[in-house]
Amino acid sequence: MSSGPSVDGSAQNAGLEAVERVLPVVRRVVGARVSDPHLAEDLVQETLLRIMTAWDRIEASMVEPYAIATARNVVATMWRDRDREARNRHRALDLSTPEAPEDQVVLGEEQAAICEALGRLGEQERTRLLAHEVSGQDTRSLAAEAGSSAGAVAAQLHRTRARLRVEYLLTMEPGPPPTEDCRPVLLALSGGSRRRQRDLGVGRHLLGCDFCARVAEPLLGRAEAREDELRVPVQGDADIVKARQAAREVAAKLGFAKTQTTLVATAVSEVARNIVRFAGRGEVLVETLSEPRAGVRVVARDAGPGMTNPQEALADGFSTYNGLGLGLPGARRLMDEFVLVSEPGRGTTVTMTKWLEED
Amino acid sequence: MSDTGPALVSILRQGSYLVASVHTALDDTQMLRFQHDLVERIGTDRATGVIIDVAALDVLDSFGSMTLRRIAEMARLRGAETVIVGIQPDVAFAMVRLGMGPGEVPTALDLEEGLTYLNGHRDGQPGSADRPPRRPQRRP
Amino acid sequence: MNDENRPQGDVDEDQLLPQLVAHLREHRAKLRDEWASRIREAHLLEAMSAQEMAAETTSVYDNYVEVLETGSVEALQHYARDLSERIIPRGVETHEVVGIVLLLRDVLARSLFEKYQNDFALLNRVLDAYEPAANRIANTVAVSFVEERERVIRQQQDAIRELSTPVLPVRERLLILPIIGSLDGERARQLTEQLLNGIRTHRAKVVVIDITGAPDVDQTVANHLVQTVDASRLMGASVIITGLSPKIAQTLVTIGVDLSKMNTIGDLQGGLEEAERLLGYHVSTEEGITSS
Ligand SMILES: [Zn+2]
Repeated sequence: MSSGPSVDGSAQNAGLEAVERVLPVVRRVVGARVSDPHLAEDLVQETLLRIMTAWDRIEASMVEPYAIATARNVVATMWRDRDREARNRHRALDLSTPEAPEDQVVLGEEQAAICEALGRLGEQERTRLLAHEVSGQDTRSLAAEAGSSAGAVAAQLHRTRARLRVEYLLTMEPGPPPTEDCRPVLLALSGGSRRRQRDLGVGRHLLGCDFCARVAEPLLGRAEAREDELRVPVQGDADIVKARQAAREVAAKLGFAKTQTTLVATAVSEVARNIVRFAGRGEVLVETLSEPRAGVRVVARDAGPGMTNPQEALADGFSTYNGLGLGLPGARRLMDEFVLVSEPGRGTTVTMTKWLEED
Repeated sequence: MSDTGPALVSILRQGSYLVASVHTALDDTQMLRFQHDLVERIGTDRATGVIIDVAALDVLDSFGSMTLRRIAEMARLRGAETVIVGIQPDVAFAMVRLGMGPGEVPTALDLEEGLTYLNGHRDGQPGSADRPPRRPQRRP
Repeated sequence: MNDENRPQGDVDEDQLLPQLVAHLREHRAKLRDEWASRIREAHLLEAMSAQEMAAETTSVYDNYVEVLETGSVEALQHYARDLSERIIPRGVETHEVVGIVLLLRDVLARSLFEKYQNDFALLNRVLDAYEPAANRIANTVAVSFVEERERVIRQQQDAIRELSTPVLPVRERLLILPIIGSLDGERARQLTEQLLNGIRTHRAKVVVIDITGAPDVDQTVANHLVQTVDASRLMGASVIITGLSPKIAQTLVTIGVDLSKMNTIGDLQGGLEEAERLLGYHVSTEEGITSS
C-alpha cells in the first residue's frame, strides 16, 4: 500500500521533492505560530528534516497531513524547549539570577564567573556559542559555515551551553571537583537528559559526593519536572514514614485499590528502612509507569557500604540488625517485580514495581 | 509516657487492664518509645491485660509488627496478657504478604472484642483469640 | 379431561374423543407437515434448524395427541416442562411457544372441520369436545413455559449475585464465602478484599470459606487463599474451610501449608455446625450460659 519511493538511490531525490512539496504548508503552519522569523526558519528546517527521515514510510496521500502534524509538534516542542527559550531571551545561561537590587555586587561577580567559564570552553565552541547567542546568527547559517547540518549545530550548541553552565558553577567553587566522575555527572545534569543521567548513575553519585550535591543544586531542576513522580530524601526514621506516604499518594492517584496501595506503602517502608539502617542516607523515588502498562515503580538507592552477597539479603531470616530479617524479602513478596543491585563500597539500589492489574 | 506525647499514643487504665491506643503513624523511634512507655506502665500499674489498639495505623511493616510482638512478650514476662485489636483489612493482608502472619500474639476485631477476649482468658493460658477459647476454669 | 368433565351417560359422546384421536393419528404425517409449514410462515422458532424443527414438531404433535387421549394433566405438565427446558436455552420466547401450540390447535381443528363438514351436528359436538381440551393444553404449556423461564432467570441472577457479593452474612457474627467458579489472580484479590472488609462491617467472629464450587485452584490462588485465612485471623476472625477436594489439599501441601493448622471440615453443613460451636463457646463465656 506504501506508494512512497523505494529506499534505493532515488531516495535522496525523492526526499528533496518532498521538501519542495511540503515547504509552503510547513512555512504557513510555523509562521502562524511563531513571529520571530529566525526562530520560525529554524523550526521549518527541523520539521523538514523530520519529514525527510520519515519519507519512505509515508504514504503519498499522507504527506501533507504528516507535514502539518509534524510542524505543529515541532512548534509545540519548541515552547517547552528550554534551549530555544534561552536563545530567545539572549541568555546563554539559564540559571536563576538574583533580582533584588542589593544583589548587584553578586551580579558583578557572576559576570566575571561567566567570562572565566567562557574562557574554559574550546575556541570553536566559544565562537559558535557567542555567534548564536549574542549576534543572533541562526543554526542554519552556522551549519553552512561549518559544513554541517543545522540539527548537528543545534545539538552542539546545546552541549556547549550545558558545559558553560557547569564551568560557571565550578568557577564559583574554591577547589576542583574531588573525583573524575564529578564533571561528567554535572554535565549530564546540566544537559537535562534523563537517559544520560541514568547511564552515569548520577543519583548515586550525588548521594555520595558532597561537592556535587552542593554544586549541582541549581542544575537539579534542569531535567523536566514530572508531576507523576515523588522524590523523598531518606536520612532518618521520620523519612521512612514520609517515603511510604508518598508511595501511597502516587499509587492512589493512579487508581490502585486500597489493599494494593497498602502493599506498596509497606514495601516502601521496608526498603526505606534498609537505607536508614545500612547506609544512613539515600533516597526513594516513586514514579508512575504507563508502559507496558499502568503501574508504580519505586527506586530506593543509597551510596552506602553495599553488600558483598545481595542474594543473602533476600533470603528470609537474614539480617544484621535487630534480629529481623523480613525487610527486603518481605518487600519482594509485596511487589510484582523486585530487583536488587548492590556493590560493596558503592551502595545499593532496589527497583520494584507493582502493576495496576495483576496477571 | 510523657516523652511520647499525648498526640501520638495514649495509655489508659481500665480496671486491671491497660488500653494503649496508637493515634497516628509512628516512626521507628516513636515506636520504640511507645514500647518502652507501655512496658513500664505494665509494671507500675501491675496490669494483668493489655489491649493495643492499632486501628489508626495504615501500615504495619516488619518493624512495627515485631515491636508489637516484643511488647507482648515483655508484657507476658511481667504477668500480663496482650491482645492486639483494630488491624485494618488492607493492613492485615499486607502483614501476611510480608511474612508477619498471625503469630503467638492474639488479635481481636476491636476494643470490645479485645476486652471480651481478656475476660475469657483471665484464668487460662495465653492463646490465640481466633481459636475457641477454653471454657473458663475455676481456680481450686 | 377427567371422566367428570365428559358428558355423562352419552355413549356417542364417549366415542367422540377416541374417534378424534384416531383421526389425528391416521393423518399424523400430513397434519404435522402442515403445522410445520404454518410455523415457518409465522416466522416462529427461527432459532431452530430444519432438522430440530422436524424432531421437535413430531414430538410435540405426538405428545399433544397423547394428552388429548389420556386427558392426564400430569402428563401434560411434564410434557410442557420438558419442552420448556429444552427450548429456553435456545432463546425461544414465550409468544413463540404459545404461538406454535395455538397453530397446532387450529391446524387440527381445521382437519376436524374438513372431516365432519357434512355432518354439522356431529362437527359441533366434536369441536365441543376438542376445543376445551386443546385450550387447556395451550394454557398449560404457556404457564409452564413462563414458570420455567422465570426459574432459569432466577437461577442466573442467583449465580450473578453470588459472584458479585460473595460474602454472605448467615447469622450474627458468621460469614460464608462461597467460592464458585474458577479463580484468577484478580478475582482472588477481590474476594479477599470483600471478605476482609466484610469481617469488619459485620463484626464477624467466624468465617466459613466454602470451596466446593471451585473446580481448580493453582498454586498462586492456593497461596492467596492461605493468605486470606491468615489475614482474617489477624482481624480476629476464625476461618473454617469446607469442601476441600483431595486435589486442592494436595496443592496446599505442595506449597508448604500445614493443613493441621487450618480448620478444615468436609462439607458446608459440617462447617456451619463447627461455626455455631465456635460462636456458642463465646456465648457461654460472655454470658455465663451454656448453649448447645
Ligand atoms: Zn562529585
